[in-house]
Amino acid sequence: MISLRRKKNKEGSLTSQGGGPSLLGLGLSLPPLLIVLVFVGLPILIGLTFSLGFTTGPNRVIAIIGQQIHKKNHWWGTLSAYNDVIHDSRFLGDLGLTIFVTVLSTTLVLLLALSIALYQRLIGGRKAAVLVTLSIVPLFVPVVISAWAIHTFYGGDGFMKTFFTHFGVDFPTLTSTPSAIVIGTVWTSLPFAILMISSGLQAIPDALIESAKDCGASVFRVIANILVPLAKTPIIIAASFTSIGILGSFTIPLFLGPNQPTMLGVEISNFFGAYNRPQQSLVMAFIVFAIASGIAVLYVRSNIKSARESGRL
Amino acid sequence: MAKFFKSINLSRIGINLFIALLAVFILGPLVWLGVHAFAADWHYPNLYPSGLTMRWWSKVFLDSALATAIKNSLIISPIVVIISMFICLPAAYAAGRMNFFGRKAFMITLFSANSFPKIGLFAAIATLYYALNLMGTFVGVVIIQLLGTIIYMTWIPAAAFAAVPKNLEEAARDAGASKFTVFRTITLRLAMPGILVAIVMSFLASFDEAQGTYLVGAPAIFTMPTEMYSLVQNYPIQVAAVFSILLAIPSVLLLGLARKHIMGGQLAEGFQLK
Repeated sequence: MISLRRKKNKEGSLTSQGGGPSLLGLGLSLPPLLIVLVFVGLPILIGLTFSLGFTTGPNRVIAIIGQQIHKKNHWWGTLSAYNDVIHDSRFLGDLGLTIFVTVLSTTLVLLLALSIALYQRLIGGRKAAVLVTLSIVPLFVPVVISAWAIHTFYGGDGFMKTFFTHFGVDFPTLTSTPSAIVIGTVWTSLPFAILMISSGLQAIPDALIESAKDCGASVFRVIANILVPLAKTPIIIAASFTSIGILGSFTIPLFLGPNQPTMLGVEISNFFGAYNRPQQSLVMAFIVFAIASGIAVLYVRSNIKSARESGRL
Repeated sequence: MAKFFKSINLSRIGINLFIALLAVFILGPLVWLGVHAFAADWHYPNLYPSGLTMRWWSKVFLDSALATAIKNSLIISPIVVIISMFICLPAAYAAGRMNFFGRKAFMITLFSANSFPKIGLFAAIATLYYALNLMGTFVGVVIIQLLGTIIYMTWIPAAAFAAVPKNLEEAARDAGASKFTVFRTITLRLAMPGILVAIVMSFLASFDEAQGTYLVGAPAIFTMPTEMYSLVQNYPIQVAAVFSILLAIPSVLLLGLARKHIMGGQLAEGFQLK
């Protein structure tokens, strides 16, 4: 329904405004584009040259201050800094933990969000509203606070340990373990996934579910063959944004994770600051970016595909 | 239909248990930290503190560094949001209503900029900041925080503008309303919920931004979240708890303002590339 209306709008705007909008539209979209190009694109580009051993020009100062700097030995640079990182046992441990947390947390977030959203779509009522409202709460809590609150809640003298001690149960101290990172990332990622998936499921017409039910489809068939496939795009959007967010997360693993191994977000900061090895720090950032880009491609493809299917492209 | 699906074997007990577990999982940490703001002494494994006190609150308000951080946050974030609106809302209108060349590339560029790990970007941005003399400056902090708001302030209003029915505008034009009147009373009005959600999300993104602000601002400019980093290391947990409550107030107020629209799908709409 929504997409049909959209399509009409777009045609409408094309006919009524003629050839003008092309240039005007481009012009209007320039300011944010310029900001992003200058303050995100340019630094990333300069950072890329630095990671490849270009130590002159804008990289001169940082190359003097930093330690273990590799200078280029080919016209295109050198891969020595990449070599350093790939053969660093710390990095391998960090990468393993980062991927582990990203995969596990994203899966948990999706399962949790999907079950709550399905409950809301199929049964609804007050309890569904309570569940959705609860899951949205983390959206409004600054991440520094959430990290610290979870830190104290699962810590050595935290609530979980205190509470269970009174029943003679020794609840494990989760703070400073990978489990705490998973708890923290699930906690902070839940709202976005719920909002995406629940809005995707709400858009599916009742009639479709009714007719499947009339044909004798079980609840699980309705979920597996109608609801989940029709909400595929929002689910993929939720999955990609959640995993990209977790992949590059910093505050949560800093407050909640172990010192070693840690997630790459924290290690990038350590290498840049504490260890003063900016080149290796940027190499790690590019490795994380490469993984994130792989996920981003999934997101863009899924969007384009769904736009094409509904006739918007 | 509801009756049919109630036959799912989700017993009442099961769903109640699930709600209880989710409540502990989500609210537990917040409540536990919040209670500490009023606790005198609290020793493990006591379930209750030894007494209640307000002295941690006076400690926060009398500490000039903490008070400055609060002031900085309350000044910087609104400025960031207003600048972001000026820069992004026209672009959002263009992306939502006009089919210009490069429109899709524009949306995807904003998205890919968002998927570079923030912490890596902040490391990379230092070079540029030194060159432009932005390190340790107010403008530098504003720009860093602005970067995190762009995707919200562009995508969500773009979807909202796109959803305004064209025929409503045409009807108003036919009835003799000027272009500006139509824009103000119909287009802008109908897109308002989306813009409101974008404003709230941008404010929160700016208000919560800690790492970039720390890298660029410290030691000259501290905001509440960057202050929080040092707070949890150097002060008793009760002080951090008080500060957390203060830091959460703007967010909770905004929650009340925009909750309906956010849960109504404005945020979700914005994240589907159209």
